[in-house]
Amino acid sequence: MSREPDERRFASGWVTLGVAGAVVAAVLGAGVLVQRAALPSPSAATLAGLHAGVWLERYRLVDSTITLDGSVVRGRCLQDWFVSGGQRRRGAVLRLDDGYVLLAVPPHTLTATGGAPAIRSVSPLVLMELAGCPRVLARRLQTLAQQHRGLTLRGDTLTFRLKATRVTLTLDPQTHAPTGVELVARGTHGVSQIRFTPVTTRLRELLSVSHG
Amino acid sequence: MATLEHAGSIPLGLRRADEASSTRLRALAWIAGWWLLGRGVIVLAAVGVHTFGPAGWIRRVEHSSVLGPLEAWDTRWYRMVAGSGYLLVPGRQSDPAFFPLFPVLMRGLHAAGLGYSTSGLVIANAAFFVALAAFYALTKAMLGDSMARRSVAYLAVFPFGFAFSMVYPESIVLALIALAALAAIRGRWGWAAACAGAAALARPEGLFVALPLAVLAWEQRHALSPRARGVAIGAVLAPVAAIGSFSLYLWQVLGNPMAWSQSQRAWGRELSPFGLVNAIGGLGRAFAHDAWVTRDVAAVVVYLVLLAAAARAGVSWPWLLSGLAIVVLPLFTGSFDSIDRFGLLAPAAFWGLAALGRDPRVNRLILGLSVPLLAAAIVVLPLRFP
Repeated sequence: MSREPDERRFASGWVTLGVAGAVVAAVLGAGVLVQRAALPSPSAATLAGLHAGVWLERYRLVDSTITLDGSVVRGRCLQDWFVSGGQRRRGAVLRLDDGYVLLAVPPHTLTATGGAPAIRSVSPLVLMELAGCPRVLARRLQTLAQQHRGLTLRGDTLTFRLKATRVTLTLDPQTHAPTGVELVARGTHGVSQIRFTPVTTRLRELLSVSHG
Repeated sequence: MATLEHAGSIPLGLRRADEASSTRLRALAWIAGWWLLGRGVIVLAAVGVHTFGPAGWIRRVEHSSVLGPLEAWDTRWYRMVAGSGYLLVPGRQSDPAFFPLFPVLMRGLHAAGLGYSTSGLVIANAAFFVALAAFYALTKAMLGDSMARRSVAYLAVFPFGFAFSMVYPESIVLALIALAALAAIRGRWGWAAACAGAAALARPEGLFVALPLAVLAWEQRHALSPRARGVAIGAVLAPVAAIGSFSLYLWQVLGNPMAWSQSQRAWGRELSPFGLVNAIGGLGRAFAHDAWVTRDVAAVVVYLVLLAAAARAGVSWPWLLSGLAIVVLPLFTGSFDSIDRFGLLAPAAFWGLAALGRDPRVNRLILGLSVPLLAAAIVVLPLRFP
């Protein structure tokens, strides 16, 4: 008989806890439901663009095999720090196996040396895109993804425009990492296979250029 | 028991109800007057900026309409969420930093045919009227009618209160905080839970209403049934649950439950125990980069003084503590940015101001300074980088 008040208190404690839990669950559930019902989700193309951009941002070195207007060259594009105009700036160096070297350090440096005349006649931007230079492609992909426009996903290919070029990235079906680039610009059509490579100190020294 | 005197007259209960409703109407009309004055000053100043400039950081699109200046700064983020949903772009400023309730409401009004920015303006300004009315009722219940009147008048023309009329969720959050506390005081814990949860779904500062709610629940514990006690505890936890629902949603959509917190980093905000030291230590650099930081530092000082005044006036500690958290915690992200706006969600600061305004000369000074400063805040709005 003396245990009755204790039992009642115990039972009422469970009621309190149960109701509190139900209220918390209701707020949690209602919150998720309202957001799911009211807010749009990003499109598959936007998400694919974002993921491709993340892959490109993750690596600083990309190896490529470029087929441009019938000729095949191998390239390596490295994103790095360069001294330009007395200041350290971020930029990219692209080296092709025919001796072509392109140095792009925004905002003022864009120099190209060596290489076959056919390659030298191609716009530096086209070569950088085909070589999969990560920052150029990543920036554009992230901007378009954030604006939720300008990206078209068909199967495993993602198409977008970058200045006067139309770029189609081939994405790995599992990881969504870019594995190939197809580019169409006025009078130019090129394709490439790209592969992300971890940077080592030796590779960095090998690829880097000195620039005043 | 009716007497001859009462015969043919309105029954006493009905007469009281009539009086109460006419008192309520008069109070609402008085609040509407202050709302009109404050919002009128802002609209006139915005029209002035639109017509005469300066252009500054306000882009052409925001100068294209008369109320465009009120659509500056973070409006585009809320518009992006309302129009396209959330997306976290690593390393970049991204929209998960902006909580979902306001864009959800914008989207609702957009469906009725209004543009997103116009929807935001309508919601923010209408919600500010609700905020003033709820704040009046809450303050009256806690501190009496004269404090309530002064608090509402000062809040309506508070110089940093221009944000209540921009496409920002501050007015909704303040309304919900006041309504949650009012419902709790009246023992309507279900409503308290809904309002507290909604406040936290609109801005993270909504979380801090949990503290006054917890103390109110504790004070009422003996008067509540076990079931009502459960609802009260649920109301205290509702803001955490609401933020949890945002995380859960982001997890489902973006695969990252902490996207709302991570996206803050691109704005240079990251909570750290040394954040306060970094914020103070980095003031010189921040000032060299943007002298407007002076206004944020002044805002912190003003809010702290007002909270101290509230403490002297006997405002209860949970409100003081939640106000302090709203003003001081953002400093631990290493930045003074936007504290003028965050502090608007600390009701205790306005109770402190109302306490100072008991002296008629101080009252005149506060009102006399607030109105021109409010207009000036809009005029200089384009000069500050968001």
